[in-house]
Amino acid sequence: MAPHLKLQALVIILLASISVAAQNIKLKGSDTILPIAQEEASVYNKRGKATVSVTGGGSGVGLAALVDNTTDIAAASRKIKMEEKLKIKQAGKKVVEAVIGKDALAVIVNPANRVDRLTREQLEGIYTGIIKNWKQVGGDDMNIVVYGRESSSGTFEFFKEYVNNRKNFAATVLAMQATGAIVQSVAQTKGAVGYIGLAYENARVRQLLISYDGKTYIAPTKANAKNGTYPIVRPLYAYYTADNEGKVKPFVDFIQSGEGQAIVSKVGYIPLN
Amino acid sequence: MVSKKHLNQTVAFWLFRAMSLFVVLTLVAILYFIVSRGISAINWDFITKGPEQGMVKGGIFPAIVGTLCLIVGSLIFAFPIGVSSAIYMHEYMKEGRLKSFLQLMTNNLAGVPSIVFGLFGMALFVNKMKFGDSILAGSLTLGLLALPVIIRTTEEALKAVDNSFRLASFAMGASKLYTIKKIVLPIAMPDIITGLILSIGRVSGETAPILFTVAAYFLPRLPHSWYDQVMALPYHLYVLATSGTNIEEARPVAFGTALVLILIVLITNLFANGIRAYYNNKYKK
Amino acid sequence: MLGYWAYNVQPLFKNKSVKKVFEVFQVGVLATSSFITSITVLLIIFFLFKEGVNTFRKSLLEDGYVLSVSKSNPVSEISPLDIKDIFDQKITNWKQVGGNDDSIQLFSVDDLPKYYTEAQIGTELEYIGTCLNNYVATHPRALAYFPQKKHLENFAGKLIKVGSVGVYEFIKGKEWLPTAKPVAQLGILPLLLGTLWVSLGAILLALPFGLATAIFMAEIAHPTARKVLRPVIELLAGIPSVVYGFFGLIVIVPFVQSVFRLDVGETALSGSIILAIMALPTIISIAEDAIRNVPKNMREASLAMGATQWQTIQKVVMPYARSGIMTAVVLGIGRAVGETMAVLMVTGNAANMPHTFLQPVRTIPATIAAELGEASNGGLHYSALFALGCILFLLTMALNLYVQLRLKKAYK
Repeated sequence: MAPHLKLQALVIILLASISVAAQNIKLKGSDTILPIAQEEASVYNKRGKATVSVTGGGSGVGLAALVDNTTDIAAASRKIKMEEKLKIKQAGKKVVEAVIGKDALAVIVNPANRVDRLTREQLEGIYTGIIKNWKQVGGDDMNIVVYGRESSSGTFEFFKEYVNNRKNFAATVLAMQATGAIVQSVAQTKGAVGYIGLAYENARVRQLLISYDGKTYIAPTKANAKNGTYPIVRPLYAYYTADNEGKVKPFVDFIQSGEGQAIVSKVGYIPLN
Repeated sequence: MVSKKHLNQTVAFWLFRAMSLFVVLTLVAILYFIVSRGISAINWDFITKGPEQGMVKGGIFPAIVGTLCLIVGSLIFAFPIGVSSAIYMHEYMKEGRLKSFLQLMTNNLAGVPSIVFGLFGMALFVNKMKFGDSILAGSLTLGLLALPVIIRTTEEALKAVDNSFRLASFAMGASKLYTIKKIVLPIAMPDIITGLILSIGRVSGETAPILFTVAAYFLPRLPHSWYDQVMALPYHLYVLATSGTNIEEARPVAFGTALVLILIVLITNLFANGIRAYYNNKYKK
Repeated sequence: MLGYWAYNVQPLFKNKSVKKVFEVFQVGVLATSSFITSITVLLIIFFLFKEGVNTFRKSLLEDGYVLSVSKSNPVSEISPLDIKDIFDQKITNWKQVGGNDDSIQLFSVDDLPKYYTEAQIGTELEYIGTCLNNYVATHPRALAYFPQKKHLENFAGKLIKVGSVGVYEFIKGKEWLPTAKPVAQLGILPLLLGTLWVSLGAILLALPFGLATAIFMAEIAHPTARKVLRPVIELLAGIPSVVYGFFGLIVIVPFVQSVFRLDVGETALSGSIILAIMALPTIISIAEDAIRNVPKNMREASLAMGATQWQTIQKVVMPYARSGIMTAVVLGIGRAVGETMAVLMVTGNAANMPHTFLQPVRTIPATIAAELGEASNGGLHYSALFALGCILFLLTMALNLYVQLRLKKAYK
């Protein structure tokens, strides 16, 4: 008879849970934003107004879930795509965009590397496969091992657009599943170069000074990103649908508030103002 | 004097011994590697608390709960169907085209790569049936993956039941169904349970099928219903090994998670072998 | 649950004919469940192919965007590869794609503020259509790329036709850039070859060890040694692939890097080594069965004629068991081809054409696992990943069917 009881118990749990789960804001999306969302959620949850659950998967997953109405907030490290916008429109909804913070991308090399600065053109050459050896950019005679993110990640698309002048990466670029893996690999590999979000900075890799005009080289620090001198900075987005505003907006407002932005900064990202 | 052909044999056999030993050593190396580094991470807090500080501290309790949910969910679905299916195929069907077709399909399903199960689960359960990323979708996907394993072990178990039991029961006027329920199944049960336990090991370690059907990156809240996402041990290990803002600091937790996963496999295997050995002895005596 | 209910509620029915009907019903439940696996396989085929086929129907151009040129430009069609090269600035002259001898001027909607003032565009972008029209009309050298929306009524330019990828180009194409803008590049040859290289490498590594262990267990080992080996092999088979991947990432990758003095350790070889360990249990257990199934009298005849045990193994046992060993190899390949997580973690995932085992490769399962999460649901990229799933499914299905037909023959 035991399986019978189990089934009944399950049904009861199921019914009970539907009522419990009512005031829960679901946030889903970019792995880049997860550290922020995680911290914001745990502070916000303590307020007791609503609970926020955070799941990753990627910007695309979050936005797809928003289309399917299986998440309340889609966190994205890239701007919503036209096709995604059209789909939400087809479902008869209006999408609302909120910027919740900024992220600076740092270019990192192995600490053993002599090179400490690159221009945007040199980076483009490295990522499109034209520059293959560190001696071409003033370093030792050593092959360049280029690390990047998976082609579908928001980080990848941003780097391609702002650094690679929209040119496609060479096929030889190693595609890592997550930024953490890039840090790990660059720390292990002498000739490596990679790009990471500032929150991932680590003593085991060295960050390069970057120049967009070929004259002034800027270090990727929070201060430089905040005052606008460091060039590779991108906004981070939270998307939700207008019909859901009442439920979601208090949490988004919280992130954008002074307290929320302090958390953004603490986690290692760039606050809005 | 040792002839050349005997010398050849000695050399060849020692080579085989050495290579077999190498296979054993590979396992030992992997186990030692995980156990020696993971053991220090494991303590009461590790298995009863949630992740903290960007997942580099704290425990893996939500992932353990999630994996348990998936094990139970997938086997609730796969076990009855798998056992019923094996009973019908072995006890009722006559040799013929239909039977070999069904067996072919079962074997084919066993050969389908786990990532294809993931794609399928996403297309059917998550998107088409609108379950969303949920325990339900993940359990069904994993259940389908476990189905061929359960069918196969149940069939083996039924085959092992001596036909004289069935004939004796029929001779006493029992119906086929009655014979199966009261005679065949009880005898075959230990082996069937062994299959069930082994499929627990299989289900708990799969990552690819749950990537797009249920697994959550970070979800300290325990699941409330079938429709919630959960963290799961294998996916959690993958996350700890490749993402996070500080992989180096997360290593102890990663090793601990890997150890818990290996322990599940180890325990289920030991348990299954124990049951097998116990009942084998019992019946032989 | 239904099955359980069917088994145990029977006593409720006292009447004999009702009982009979109920028994038929119970058997019906059993029969139905025996079709579930077949139905699942068919459903997998249906869903995979239904979505995968869309790859060959959708335009390679990013959804919602258009590519256009001035009406005076003779070019009306450009191949996807050429479009990519134009936007990578490898092709810079219209002559190279069949137009006039004139340089190509690239334009995207983000460049609009360079040509028009904010007042002209409008604060709410309401005049964007007019500006685009004006731009295309006045720039004969331009190749413009912008979202279509509704401002294409009375469009001053000419739209460039971009078709969809053909099955042949899909399989033969050497560029896998599914998110390339404005036109995706869907060539899976590097992924296909990557998968095959890694799997074949794994089998080459695993086969000698697998066979040696199988022979040892079946022919040489003391029963006690066998008792030790059996659980070892079961455990090797039971360790989750993500744990293998983790082990590979921390141990095998640096090992390969330092032994071969490579720039980078995430290589096809690292993947092959891990997959070899994972394929070992399959190979060992099937090969051992095959060796055991060699009839005793054949062995004894050989031994009686004065052959040593080793000679018997070489000349009698192995040839007889050959078919079974082939089965082991094929199943091992099947396991390796479909393996996802371990490979994803150790092969570096660069989508280039493999030339040596010491370079990073990207396999089909790794591609699906890594990209599906970020592909927008129902888009071209999403479909293309399902098409990859179809190919993977067909590949493993073919290997499986081969094995089963072969087993059946051997059985007869």
